[in-house]
Amino acid sequence: MAWIDFLDLVQSIMDGVMFGATYSLIGIGFTLIFGVMHKINLSYAAASVGAAYLSLLIVSVAPTPIVYLIAALCGGVLGAVIYWVCFKFLPLNQSLATLMSTVGMLLVLEESIVHATAGMPQNYPAAFADVVFNVGPFVLRGDLLFVFLLGCAVMVALKYMLEKTKLGLATRAVAQQPIAAQICGMSVDKTNASTFIIAGFLGGTAGAMTGAAIGVLSPLITLPLTVKGLVVTVIGGLGSIPGAILAGLIVGGAESLFQFVRGVSERDIYVMLMLFVFLVFRPNGLFSVPGGRD
Amino acid sequence: MSFLRKNILTLIPVMAALLPLPSHSETREVKIYAFGAKSGVVRIFGLNSEAAMKAAAEQINKAGGVTLGDGSKGKLVLEYLDDRCTAEEGINALRRIASSADGFVAVGPTCSNVAEPVFGILQKKVGDASDTGLQFPVYTDVAAKGGLASMSQWAFRNVPSEANMYKSLFDWIKTNHPEIKTIWGGVEKDFAHSNATFNVMKDFATKAGFEVKGQSEWLLADTTFSNQVREMRRGEADLVMISAHPFTTCGALKEMQRQGVKPKMLVGLTSSSSVETLQGCAAQAEGIIIPTSFAPVTDDARKAAQAMQAVGASMDLHNAAAWENIFTLKDLIEKAKIMAKPETIKEDRLKMRDALASMKESYGLLGKVGRTEDREAVKPFLFVQAKKGEWTVAYKPN
Repeated sequence: MAWIDFLDLVQSIMDGVMFGATYSLIGIGFTLIFGVMHKINLSYAAASVGAAYLSLLIVSVAPTPIVYLIAALCGGVLGAVIYWVCFKFLPLNQSLATLMSTVGMLLVLEESIVHATAGMPQNYPAAFADVVFNVGPFVLRGDLLFVFLLGCAVMVALKYMLEKTKLGLATRAVAQQPIAAQICGMSVDKTNASTFIIAGFLGGTAGAMTGAAIGVLSPLITLPLTVKGLVVTVIGGLGSIPGAILAGLIVGGAESLFQFVRGVSERDIYVMLMLFVFLVFRPNGLFSVPGGRD
Repeated sequence: MSFLRKNILTLIPVMAALLPLPSHSETREVKIYAFGAKSGVVRIFGLNSEAAMKAAAEQINKAGGVTLGDGSKGKLVLEYLDDRCTAEEGINALRRIASSADGFVAVGPTCSNVAEPVFGILQKKVGDASDTGLQFPVYTDVAAKGGLASMSQWAFRNVPSEANMYKSLFDWIKTNHPEIKTIWGGVEKDFAHSNATFNVMKDFATKAGFEVKGQSEWLLADTTFSNQVREMRRGEADLVMISAHPFTTCGALKEMQRQGVKPKMLVGLTSSSSVETLQGCAAQAEGIIIPTSFAPVTDDARKAAQAMQAVGASMDLHNAAAWENIFTLKDLIEKAKIMAKPETIKEDRLKMRDALASMKESYGLLGKVGRTEDREAVKPFLFVQAKKGEWTVAYKPN
């Protein structure tokens, strides 16, 4: 391998790891809901992209940070709607019921975006798009670094929220022993709804960051993001927030590496093989959450 | 009086029955069926096609409609079916149209991956009793992958020949831009039209004397293009040609801007010469040259573009073909003496097929459209260039 090829290889992995920060943000949302309700919300990535689309309503009149904030708020609202429609009135002991309702919601959200925009790609504002850090022969994109740091900040904030606040205590209690939590006066319904709103808030941020990283929003990205989010959640360990962050970066890096080595048409095959390897040799993921009481 | 009040509801239908029947209107409805993607991520193609066909039909109807085989006047009525750009829905739509009592021709589909299987279910050779394929004329407006009409004698298309367009484009570049010697390609590998057209582009670029140094590949739903653009950067080519639809064209162009890849010239896919590209990345697409079979450069084209604007749509090479198809069908209905009656529908289908097959040229917004032996179109075209968020005419070769 020539020196320039080696440099390209390293740069590819770095780019992938940086872009993987968007997968991390999506993975956190999946894992947060799973951690609390032990349910997979398959419409999560579609809602995240939907929230980013909604923020476009103010893109011509508001500065970029406000657009991102609106995306986050819209994500929270969509999270509440998804909880209300897909979970609240469904028998939660029937695991297929919520799985299918969220698949339905995914399709509804995707088609709503398509109908609202006729499927046309929409320009999305990027933060620090012109900022580039040169580290020796390598280049780091400022916008992706921003997404990465945001992911880390979110992780710290969530950890604080889960460990130091009443809502966090209720969330953990409901996740571990819902009946006992109810006996202690905690509302399972309110706690679940709060989790969806918080996860939706994160999702809106993730949708905005994904749009910012690509520079364009399209309904085409909802399905790939859903798949990547699920892969990240499984590899990171269902219910583990640090696991989702790390797995997002690993999946992003691996995807870029496989593309560099084997080309675009084989890239996804190897990513899926990687998932199978994890499922066989480490089925609980990188940071599996221990069962029972903490 | 009280009797009347009590029984008024009963009397209304009786009185209605006693009234003289209106004379049978001389203007009949002539149904034109169309199908294409009106949902899914390429919904815009179907919406635009439908809007263009409806606007064209409205103009024809306002001007007196269409004269049918028995001398009566007909009013064109369009019914557009959604195929979601999927093969099974497309086949389903055409079968529904063929089973109708008033359908004698269909315009569509919008996607090449639908056109191919749809043409596959049509009878290959007219009159072949051993072939039980569908006997229904289809006149395609949008699906652009080359050579598809040769699959069946019931299939006709009014789409531009991309081979002619890119041959002409690279010859023009060779003559007018001698500073350009090398080319790098970018292709959306998993989309039939983009992939097939990329091979056409590469072929004619090489024949024109350019050195195609390599290509970068991506998929329709890809979100990151850093590897591909890095390859492009290493290629240091004078010209970058991108055969991809607007979403990934914009993604790749934005990444090129990030990595500082500034070729002397950009060339794009015909389908990207639309408002979508400018909406997604006008700044990054500045200067890109694309061959197209539509631009508002003739009186007819300007009027058609205005009619589209009036209904909130914009005209491009795809829906311009849809517009042209309706005017061509109007001429053919009159020429072939189509009756448009349920009892003559089978005969009308064959008449329409024969009329389409016998066309030597047809109506076009940029000028007459020639026809080939294998039922394809030879359309006038020009090269457009993105300038300050608008498509401007760069050169008109014919």
